[in-house]
Amino acid sequence: MNAYALLGIKLIGVSFGSMAVGLLFMGLGRKVTARIQRRMGPPFYQSFIDVIKCFTKTSITHNFVMDLGIIMALGGLIATAFFIPFANFSILGSSSVVIVLYLMSIGYLGMAMGVSASGNPNATIGISRALALMMGYEIPFVMVIMAMLITYNSSDLLTYAVAQSNGIGSWHIWKYPLGFIAVEIAFQAMVGEAPYDHMIAPAEIASGPMVELSGKYLGIGFLLHAVQLYVETGLIVNLFLGGASSWYVMLVKMFAVYFTTLSINAVMARYRIEQGIRHLWIWAGSFGLLQLIYTRIWG
Amino acid sequence: MEMDNLYLANLREEKQNMWGGLVNYFRKRSMWMLYYCTGCGAIELPPTMTSRYDMERLGMGPMATPRQADLLLITGYLSVKTLKRVIWSYEQMQEPKYVVGFGSCPINGGIYWDAYPVINHLEAFIPVDMSIAGCMPRPQAIIDAFEKLMGEIQEGKAIGYKRYEKHYDWYKKNQDAVLGRTEAVLKPWNDPFASNPSVDELMALEKGESNV
Amino acid sequence: MSDNILARAGKMHGDKIECREKYKAQLEIKTHRDYVLNLLTWLKSERYVHLSFMSCIDWIEENEFELVWHVFSYESKNHILVKTRLNREKPWMHTAINIWPHVQPYEQEIHEMFGVYFPGNPDLSGLFLHNWLDLPPLRKDFIAKDYSLALYTTDALGLTPPFDDIDIVEITAEESRDGE
Repeated sequence: MNAYALLGIKLIGVSFGSMAVGLLFMGLGRKVTARIQRRMGPPFYQSFIDVIKCFTKTSITHNFVMDLGIIMALGGLIATAFFIPFANFSILGSSSVVIVLYLMSIGYLGMAMGVSASGNPNATIGISRALALMMGYEIPFVMVIMAMLITYNSSDLLTYAVAQSNGIGSWHIWKYPLGFIAVEIAFQAMVGEAPYDHMIAPAEIASGPMVELSGKYLGIGFLLHAVQLYVETGLIVNLFLGGASSWYVMLVKMFAVYFTTLSINAVMARYRIEQGIRHLWIWAGSFGLLQLIYTRIWG
Repeated sequence: MEMDNLYLANLREEKQNMWGGLVNYFRKRSMWMLYYCTGCGAIELPPTMTSRYDMERLGMGPMATPRQADLLLITGYLSVKTLKRVIWSYEQMQEPKYVVGFGSCPINGGIYWDAYPVINHLEAFIPVDMSIAGCMPRPQAIIDAFEKLMGEIQEGKAIGYKRYEKHYDWYKKNQDAVLGRTEAVLKPWNDPFASNPSVDELMALEKGESNV
Repeated sequence: MSDNILARAGKMHGDKIECREKYKAQLEIKTHRDYVLNLLTWLKSERYVHLSFMSCIDWIEENEFELVWHVFSYESKNHILVKTRLNREKPWMHTAINIWPHVQPYEQEIHEMFGVYFPGNPDLSGLFLHNWLDLPPLRKDFIAKDYSLALYTTDALGLTPPFDDIDIVEITAEESRDGE
């Protein structure tokens, strides 16, 4: 088997694998939320059923740009997933965290392009909220990344993972505690859970960007969220929680990150958009900045 | 006649398609609903959704827009003005789509059967797949109806959307009879002030009448 | 009446009005159609600044409509009903829009539901009813039951579906399954 075929198989595997992991997390997440609310909740495979059902429905497209935007968003996020080391497995050998941050925004921009083309004002409001919030959480996130860049003089996620491989005491969560808090707050906003769920506010702007998505488009929307969960939890595990040596440890760590987010989501109400951005800048931003200053002077 | 029978045609179609039964399983296990809170039935949905009866274990959940939803719940009486919006919402939904009428009002008008703005038979305007009797139905009855609807979806019986497509003329005729009237039903009203007279004109008119 | 409004009204308006204290804090003033605006203006200057509601009653046996303005004072906490009678054949009333601008939708609704005409009200188009061509529905000579029977029933709609009943379909389906 030649190298290209092998690479192709790996790429396809990561694409579908990231979707499956994300959907599994979404289903487990719904179960967790239900148990917090003292309900039975749906079965853990409910998200798979939802997505498959979405693909069996008829759907409406408004124009070519809408199709292109949605596909571009999914493509951008899957391309990001290629750069996330999953346990020991990494397709491309080295994966720079700067590229990950760069590619992740393609997903959002594609989504913005696609849903704005649908012409629904609620979708435009939703996506403008998402982009405004992006400004709020990316600055603290980048400050923490810069602290790591200063320490290691490298942007490779695998380098970070190897540096944390000597047991639980070597995890970055102890080395960059303020940075971890900043990234956790930013992560809450990244996945759009309360109190930063401005983008999808069902009672307020009728689910925001998803308002005009029907059938297959909605299915792709769900897959987008699934891949996004995979990418962002994977990124945090590799940055702070010591990576993993086997796939199940990796999955458990990733779900632990998501579980924290869900627990906060279940008990929080929604900020207003300007409160949300101010909160992110003041709290996540100051923790990130302190971490950066500390690392630069004493690190 | 048998060719006209939509249910048989649907069964035949599903038999030919190897994924037919499997697709029905996914459709029945993941019904997203759009609840149209027209009347008192909306108050029975929160207990059905929350911890006591928890409809999410059946894979059902509320959705924000008609585009995303599979199931349209008409929760109570429908006035003529609301009927127009219900038809718009129903036609925006993507196939396959199902309609459930709550309580006696969508069935035959309920206690509003002799009221001038409330329609009596919802199934004349959009196809109803399931009706729940009661005023209002309790959450147990609602869950029961959803389970029956899931059974009908699995058997390929819930084909209201196909009926709407095929017999659109008939539905459209009924919709127009109520919404697009051009003449009065009982007796037309002759507005004595149709010409929008001013106060002075009206005063002059009254003085003239009293003089006569 | 804490602010003695009954006596002052009698002194001010004399035989133009007919006052009656209905309850401890509720006063009824009846007057002629053309005097209502004067009375409402005077009441507003007497700190009765809040018009809570305006309604209409159909006295079909006396062939009259009765209009009622509910006026309230935040200081004396009194509630005054200003009432007037209109001829039922040609009911019209001066608009109070220059005294209280928010009376506009009340007058619009009364025009729609009873057919009372308010010259000077800028918008008397339909507010609630859809495509209405019959008598105004809250008049007593409009029979809502007849209307409902004539428009919404199975007979009126010709409610015989052109498609099969689902029970019949079920039997046929069973037969066809056996046949195969």
